[in-house]
Amino acid sequence: MLNPYRVLDLTTERGLLCGQILADLGADVIKVEPPGGSPARRLAPFYQDVPDPNRSIYWWAYNRNKRSITLNLETDEGRELLYRLAASSHFLIESDNPGHLATRRLGYSDLAACNRELIYVSITPFGQDGPKATYADSDLVILAAGGPLLLGGDEDRPPLRVSVPQAYLHASADAATGALVAHHERVRSGLGQHVDVSAQQSVTIATQANNLAYRLHADEARRMAGGVKLGSLRVPLVWRAKDGYVTLGFLFGRQLGMFSQRLMNYLHELGICDAATRDKDWIAYGALLLSGKEPMAEYERVVGLIAEFAANRTKAELLSAALERGLLIAPITTMDEVLQSPQLQSRQYWQLLEHPELGRSFPYPGPFARFSAAPIAYRRRPPLVGEHNRELYVSELGLTEGTFADFARRGVI
Amino acid sequence: MLPLDDVKVVDFMWALAGPGTTRTLADYGATVVRIESANRVDGARTVGPFLDNKPAHDGSGLFGTYNAGKLGLALDLNKPQARGVVLDLVRWADVVCESFSPKAMRAWRLDYESLREVKPDLIMLSSCLMGQTGPMSKFIGFGNMAAAVAGFYHLCGWPDRPPSGPFGAYTDYIAPRFGAISVLAALDYRRRTGQGQYIDQSQAESALHFLTPALLECAANARIEQGIGNADPNYAPHGVYPALGDDRWIAITCKTDQQWRSLCTVMDRGNLASHQAFATLAMRHQNRDQLDHIISEWTRGLTAHDAEVLLQQSGIPASAVQDSNDVSHDPQLAARRYLAEIEHPVCGKTVVEGPRFLLSRTPAMIARPAPSVGGDNQHVVETILGYDQDRISELVAAGVLG
Repeated sequence: MLNPYRVLDLTTERGLLCGQILADLGADVIKVEPPGGSPARRLAPFYQDVPDPNRSIYWWAYNRNKRSITLNLETDEGRELLYRLAASSHFLIESDNPGHLATRRLGYSDLAACNRELIYVSITPFGQDGPKATYADSDLVILAAGGPLLLGGDEDRPPLRVSVPQAYLHASADAATGALVAHHERVRSGLGQHVDVSAQQSVTIATQANNLAYRLHADEARRMAGGVKLGSLRVPLVWRAKDGYVTLGFLFGRQLGMFSQRLMNYLHELGICDAATRDKDWIAYGALLLSGKEPMAEYERVVGLIAEFAANRTKAELLSAALERGLLIAPITTMDEVLQSPQLQSRQYWQLLEHPELGRSFPYPGPFARFSAAPIAYRRRPPLVGEHNRELYVSELGLTEGTFADFARRGVI
Repeated sequence: MLPLDDVKVVDFMWALAGPGTTRTLADYGATVVRIESANRVDGARTVGPFLDNKPAHDGSGLFGTYNAGKLGLALDLNKPQARGVVLDLVRWADVVCESFSPKAMRAWRLDYESLREVKPDLIMLSSCLMGQTGPMSKFIGFGNMAAAVAGFYHLCGWPDRPPSGPFGAYTDYIAPRFGAISVLAALDYRRRTGQGQYIDQSQAESALHFLTPALLECAANARIEQGIGNADPNYAPHGVYPALGDDRWIAITCKTDQQWRSLCTVMDRGNLASHQAFATLAMRHQNRDQLDHIISEWTRGLTAHDAEVLLQQSGIPASAVQDSNDVSHDPQLAARRYLAEIEHPVCGKTVVEGPRFLLSRTPAMIARPAPSVGGDNQHVVETILGYDQDRISELVAAGVLG
């Protein structure tokens, strides 16, 4: 869908997903790596646990559909090559600390001077300017600074993150959105601009607007093991099943109460609860509890019945009950179960990419959306370090074989 | 001029995953007409945080944030005359977005095949938990459930406990980005080819892109990852440590041996830097409990913000674990206008989250607060659709316009 466009992807281990999204959509994304390879290639896990720049699974995850060239931006000749590439590119994505590229004459204004249509996307921990712009960062630190970290985990332990780093994925997705908004405007104005993404600000979305509580004078949600605390009400969301765990929503109110009603109807049919329990006012139940009209002990009793219902059934049994009866139950799925998911298989989600140098193919998560006119295609496995140097420098940029060999020998490329 | 001020959207989305997509389009100038039923309002209106802690349909900060900048049209889609109004809007629009379960739009005969009859180059985005097809296409619920099915719950927890899961409707934070990206790419494709298209977004399938390393690790190395607390295979120390005060914490990461040595200096424990047990990443991993204990001893005596400043001055990645109060006073977020005050016609002065990324030359604008139910009925039918007063009165009398 974005086939006419070329993207220079200078991102470090932060921000790789942005270029991959554009590449999935068909853009020609060129990963520009320092000689020896991107620092992202040094991140675990590694295929068969062999640390090697071409075996980093983290690298594989976010560089499909890209081409790779190596280029030493610390040299004048390297920068000259980048200017030449930028002159014919539509987007440039980078994720160095603010000012890092500008001090190397590769900042937005430097590149806008050689291509005023260029959209220059910067993904940084905290943004281009501001009092924390130079702060040192990590996934965990950004999640702490943006608000979501405090809301996750068990109340008797420290706040908890998802074990797969998330912050720069949120930022990268925002960056791709920003790039395409700027592109839409460029079609009209003929001008590029600078898209400034702060990972701290991007992860604020994962607080579900809870960050607003202070300014709105509202209660804040608090973390709780496998659920959430709303005032004095503990809302469990993780329940034990026979063979693992499920999430189950036992919730109240005008729209959610009907799901609890369906659940209680089912429990009554199964003989787990009596008619009086089934016939409680599940719409008003939350309000009744908070006002004290319904004792908390009674709520705990019903929660106990639901726990018994879940614990005696497998995840698959609970899921099929949810599908049949419209209940808010979902299995807590492990990675191997995700790979075997009948739903994903029926949609032919997994895309096999062959890594010929390893003699193996791996199933990659498939298209992030299905487009009827221009479907996403997985055209290339993640590139080896500098795999497309010759193709790009000689065939496309027109360097002579002699210059190419000379640049390679002197570590420019 | 705003970047997307030539883009017109009919928005049937509800809750979070859908409306997040159209909020971004509205921020950058798209005209978004949001259709809501007066009989069954958007559930997001019933979820807090609420202005002054008072549950009210216009007071939800969650609804307010996800729907700022949009126009509100209340239509009873179960009334036969509503379809004509929708079709007129579709003729006007470039894009239709909806996030019902798969059968709903078909039941109203408002599915893509029906709508493209009146608008051949229509772009339509359908977003639901599991996608339009497959045995789980009728799976109903919320983003916390898609997050469980996609594997986020199993990957968020302590090794000695049941999974904790990330906070809230996690896939609803991811899907809106991929939704907006899809619409913007389809608009560019239509501009170049004249062709519209249908986009089937499974929120779970979009969100799996945030777990790719763990999925590939399972496929390639046959290793099933699970929640490992706050540990990280690439870094140590890497954790959340107690600070002075009730439920106050500081997050610290050392990415390099140098940062570890700096941390020892800041803690005034310089002798640890040369200690064999902590000299390398591998050793620090092996002795992580001891390491975390030492760091906790030090952080316990400091406020989270003091610790953050001390550590950052030495180049060590660290941040107070910020709550809503902290975030509201964070000078960095303030510099980026993260929180935006806005005047709401029903509830007065309120606050919403601002646009999440910044464009240098054509910044976003929050043109209006989130609509009340049917708050823009008159404007939409009169100005956008050009209906005369008789037609409007008819629709009101028939109960079509709420």
